[in-house]
Amino acid sequence: MSKSIWSKITDVDRRVLYWVMFIALAIPFISPLGMPVPVTEMTKAVYDKVESLGPKNIALFSIAGGVSAWPEIAPSMVAVMRHLVKKEVKIVVWGFFTDQDITVDMITSNVPELKTKYKYGEDWVYMGYLAGGETAVAALASDVHSVFKADKYGTPVEKLPLIQRVKSAKDIDLVLTVDTGSYILYYVRHWNVGKGTPVAEIGIAMQADMVVYYPANLVGLMIGVRGGAEYEKLIGRLGDGTVRMDAINISHLLFIIAIALANVGYVATRRKK
Amino acid sequence: MPYPTDPLILSGAWASVILTLMVYSYVLYKENLAYRFTEHTYISTSLAIAVVVASQTLTSNAFLPLSKGDISYVIPIILGLLLFTLPFRQVRWISRYPLAFVVGVGTGLAMRGAVHAQMVAQVLTAITLPKAPQPVDWFNFFFALIAFLTSTSYFIFTREHTGFMAIPTKIGRYMIMLALGSYFGNTILFRMAMLSGRVEEILKVFGIIPWR
Repeated sequence: MSKSIWSKITDVDRRVLYWVMFIALAIPFISPLGMPVPVTEMTKAVYDKVESLGPKNIALFSIAGGVSAWPEIAPSMVAVMRHLVKKEVKIVVWGFFTDQDITVDMITSNVPELKTKYKYGEDWVYMGYLAGGETAVAALASDVHSVFKADKYGTPVEKLPLIQRVKSAKDIDLVLTVDTGSYILYYVRHWNVGKGTPVAEIGIAMQADMVVYYPANLVGLMIGVRGGAEYEKLIGRLGDGTVRMDAINISHLLFIIAIALANVGYVATRRKK
Repeated sequence: MPYPTDPLILSGAWASVILTLMVYSYVLYKENLAYRFTEHTYISTSLAIAVVVASQTLTSNAFLPLSKGDISYVIPIILGLLLFTLPFRQVRWISRYPLAFVVGVGTGLAMRGAVHAQMVAQVLTAITLPKAPQPVDWFNFFFALIAFLTSTSYFIFTREHTGFMAIPTKIGRYMIMLALGSYFGNTILFRMAMLSGRVEEILKVFGIIPWR
C-alpha cells in the first residue's frame, strides 16, 4: 500500500532536514535579506547604562564564555567594547575560561582603539584567567588585590595604575558579564546584592529568561546574536550580529514549519489508524 | 577584507573547515572515524590549553607571592596537592578534606546572596504593581502572578493534589511546561546560532562570501 502524504511528512529522513537547514542558513550570508531587528528594552537598558558612563568610570568586562560560543556572543562583545571605547570608559578585563586569551585577541583585533587610543595599564588592563568559580567571584568582590597579584603578562598590580584604583566591587561602575553558564548568578549574588554594583549580562539564548528572575538585580540583558545585532543598531555600526540575524530568522522559520508539518502529519496519520 | 594569503592563517582556516565537516559527519552518518578523530583532537587540544593556563595562573597567583615571602599561600597549595591523592586507592581518603573545604566554602558563599536575589527579590517583583501600566502590562502582571503562585503550589507535597488543591496545581504544571518549552526553544535558538557561525566560516573559506 502506498504511503499517504502525511505519513511521508512524518517519516522524512533527518539527513534531508539537516541539508535543507544548511542550505537555508547559507542563503542569507550569500544574499542578505535585511530583515528588521527591533531593539528590545533589555538591550536598550544596557546601552543606556554604558552611554551614561564616561572617562572617569571603570567597567569590568568579565569573560565566562569559551571560544566555542563566539557565533552567539562575539557580536555583542565587540559592539559593547566599541561603545565603551567610544565613551572612553576605563576597562578591566578578566575571565574564567581557559581559552579566553583567544577571545581577548579577537576583541582587540576588532576594536583596534584598545591598542592605539587606549594606554595599557592606565585605560584598560587584562588580568587574565582565574579558577574558582563562585568562590573567585566572591573573593574579587571583597578584595581584588588579594586575588590578582599580577596581570596576564606578569606585571605586578603595583605597576598598573588602573588596577590600583580597583580594590573591590565598589570601585567598579558597571559589570558586563559575558556568560554561557552560571556566572551571572555569582555576580548578582556577590557584586550586586553584596556590594550594590550594577550588573549587566551578555548571554546566550538560554539565558533569555534570566531577566525575569532578576529584574531587580540586572541593569539589562543582551541575548545572543540578537542582542549583538540590536546593540550594533544602537551604536550605529552594523557588524556580524546583523548579518547573522537573517540566517537565524530563516532557520527559525524553517523549524516552525517543520514542527507544524510534523504535528499535523502525526494527528492526520493517528486519526487514520 | 581580502582573502588572506598568509599560509599560517590559510592553514588555520582550512583546518577549521575540515574539522567542522568531520564533526558534522556525525549527524549525517552517525559514529565514524572522521568524527572520532575530531572529537579526540578537540578534547586533547582543550586539555593542553587548560594545563598551560592553569600552570601560568598558579605561577602568578600562588608561587609568585609565595616567593616574595607570603607563606600563607602554602596552605592552599598543600590543599590543592592533596587532591592529587584521588587516583590512589590507599590514600584516596585524604582528597576528601580539600574537597570538603571547597564544597563548604562554595555552599556558604552561594547561600549568602541566594536568599535575597533568588527568593526575596523574585517575590517582591511578583507582587509589585506595574508603573504607568498599559493594558498589556496588567495582563503580564496577573499572568506572572498566577504562574508564580500556581507553579509554587505544584511543589507542595505535604497535601494531596485533590480538592481545592487540584486546579491550582494543574495550572501550575502547565505553567512549568510553558517555562520548560521556552527554555527548549531558546536552546534551539542557541544551537542555530552556533550552526550559522560554522556555515559562515565554511562559505568564507571556500570564497563564496567575502572574508571578514
